Amino acid sequence: MKFNVQRNQLMESVQDVMKAISSKTAIPILSGMKIDVTEEGVKLTGSDSDISIESFVPAEEEGIVYVENIEPGSIVLQAKYFPEIVRKLPEQTVEIESDEQFNVTIRSGSAEFNLNGQDAQEYPQLPKLHTENSFELSVDLLKDLIRQTVFAVSTSETRPILTGVNMSIKDQKLQFVATDSHRLAGRSIPLEDSANKELFSNIVIPGKSLNELNKILDDTQEKIEISVTENQILFRTKHLNFLSRLLDGNYPETSRLIPEQSKTNVMIDSKELLHSIDRASLLAKESRNNVVKLTTKENTSIEISSNSPEVGKVFEEVTADTIEGEELKISFSAKYMMDALKAINSEKVNISFTGAMRPFIIKPAEHEDEILQLILPVRTY
Amino acid sequence: MSSRFPTKGRIIFHVDMNSFYASVEAAYNPDLKGKPLAIAGNPEVRKGIIVTSSYEARAKGVKTTMPLWQAKDLCPELIVMRPNFDRYREASKNMFEMLAEVTPYIQPVSIDEGYMDITECADLGTPFEIAENIQKRIKNELDLPCSIGIAPNKFLAKMASDMKKPMGITVLRKRELATKLWPLPIDEMYGVGGKTAEKLRNINIETIGDLAKYDVYHLKSILGINGERLQNRANGYDPRPVDPDAVSLFKSIGNSQTLPYDTTDEREITKLLRSLSEKVAERMKRKTVVSENIQVMIRYHDRKTITRSHQLHDYVEFSEDIFNIASELFFSNWNGKAIRLLGVTAQQLTEKEEMTKQLDLFTYENEAKNENLYKVVDDLSEKYGKDVFKKSVTHEGNHSVSTSFQKDFLDDFKRD
Repeated sequence: MKFNVQRNQLMESVQDVMKAISSKTAIPILSGMKIDVTEEGVKLTGSDSDISIESFVPAEEEGIVYVENIEPGSIVLQAKYFPEIVRKLPEQTVEIESDEQFNVTIRSGSAEFNLNGQDAQEYPQLPKLHTENSFELSVDLLKDLIRQTVFAVSTSETRPILTGVNMSIKDQKLQFVATDSHRLAGRSIPLEDSANKELFSNIVIPGKSLNELNKILDDTQEKIEISVTENQILFRTKHLNFLSRLLDGNYPETSRLIPEQSKTNVMIDSKELLHSIDRASLLAKESRNNVVKLTTKENTSIEISSNSPEVGKVFEEVTADTIEGEELKISFSAKYMMDALKAINSEKVNISFTGAMRPFIIKPAEHEDEILQLILPVRTY
Repeated sequence: MSSRFPTKGRIIFHVDMNSFYASVEAAYNPDLKGKPLAIAGNPEVRKGIIVTSSYEARAKGVKTTMPLWQAKDLCPELIVMRPNFDRYREASKNMFEMLAEVTPYIQPVSIDEGYMDITECADLGTPFEIAENIQKRIKNELDLPCSIGIAPNKFLAKMASDMKKPMGITVLRKRELATKLWPLPIDEMYGVGGKTAEKLRNINIETIGDLAKYDVYHLKSILGINGERLQNRANGYDPRPVDPDAVSLFKSIGNSQTLPYDTTDEREITKLLRSLSEKVAERMKRKTVVSENIQVMIRYHDRKTITRSHQLHDYVEFSEDIFNIASELFFSNWNGKAIRLLGVTAQQLTEKEEMTKQLDLFTYENEAKNENLYKVVDDLSEKYGKDVFKKSVTHEGNHSVSTSFQKDFLDDFKRD
């Protein structure tokens, strides 16, 4: 195997596949990175058996040559050293060559590294996905869907299914839902051509996978193709294949847990509320669920307060645009509220309360069908 | 007057009640005065050990923790009483209140002893005069004897209060260490227990003076960081301040009890677990705290002891809940061998007032259905103060006898 490659393109691909490589893997060879070279270009593969990432550097694209002097072949390299070596090479062009004993030579300028490689035959085959059940989405929209929901997945393994994001297609809509049972985040978008997509109406993608995918993808209008099988999901862009296992089990039916009526409705400036809660949380203790209190006041004023007997108190009045319905006093986690407001990222939000012991819902004032953030309050005694 | 009041450093008192339980009993019933008196856990069965005894009993060789039968051998005329913890608690509260009138800087360390920092009390007289007044007042108003140690820090004050009993007042100055402290045998040093004393004697440290002069590195290699700390104290150095809040930093509430005989009888065990859980719940109620972690201790007939705890996702406060968790813990960890002692401890305590519960999407209806009730309680609390709901809870449990030596009752005098 032999090829010359542009260092920047190689570096980018290396960084992408590194996201899937863990030094603590049950299968030793998975701590390495596989390199496959063909006349089309260089393909890098990394996997921790939950997530597998393939990144492709084409030999040539739009008239620009990235890989040349190609002698096809494959090798597996120690992922512990390879990325740093590539990053620190002196020249723009990198030459990589392996012999029959799996010795790898990396040359750039007058620097030369000799690394011990491993036989690519030993590397597990990634499952090939049939791409019949697939649909397309723009990358930036997918990133929004992830960003607005994945933070709400559970970090505890007590209910493993809640560590994932529930993806479903229903009524021409693609919906992401995540909940750790203390708060719930949902985002849905209309899907134009969803004729035969009912086949994977309800799957659960590990939160960790989506977090990694979100890091790898750049904010672009380009399309990403999503394909689903029984236990795997594949995200595919032009030069990237991102394969993740799905979580086993049924995701709880959350829609019926979302209150449909409300007793108190507040419309308020999102940033003002966020900052006020951020200030109040300074005195809220983590051990007490980071609790802050919201109280409706005269006119359109609400009071945000927090009290830690051994530290002190904080009160702040924030003016809402409108307050309708019953008076309310409710305590909740400042962190959950801030997470939700940041995810919504809208100038104004509508908050619908149904009482101090029931979940409340935050939606953007515009496009309010698309984003839903729900928070369970904290009971104080 | 204050010309004799030291101007450098701090002045710490250690007030130590003399044979406190026995003295309280004698104050209640003056007929007992001058007689050998012992307070014992339970006079009938083997767990009856001497908790404390009067000086007359001590003169005959009766010692704390001695089994009752042995004490009776030494002193056949010994009067034995069961403890009346409510009396002791009351007396302790009165005593600390008197100390609190001298300075707010008092730190109770147990029911019958505490530290005071009187550095700022020059206007009340010399340290010795202040100590005399305290001692007289406790004697005149409560009919209880105490010894007071006066020194520049807690350790020396503690050592000083031990030097003259009963009714002693001892000043221990740093310049007197060589004559007053160093000649004492090492096992009389506060902080040196049986095992430590043994280790020290193995390296020929027989007196506190020997410890003070010993090579610090060698000491550390044997006792770890504690070796250095002990040596510092032997040299009259102890930086710990008198902390009035230390007593409220309780971490757990636990009760344990020895069975009358080693047993594998599940009914017997269940009964004891239930009664221990009740005692723990009772004390939690008195302190208005709730717990998130329950621990059981099992001591087998061969003294082998294990503890197992269960981390909860919710707060517990009632004896029934504590009992359920404790017995589940017990029965999933018991190896079936005969048991000598059981203990139940509530850990990770939270003041009820500070308690919060993050509601859960899948179970919130449990709370939601009581929402109106909570709201009424909340509104009334706001109107009439929180005590409306707390007083009835805190008062009803005062008659029960607990055989615990924990410090939670020390809060009582502070709360009022």
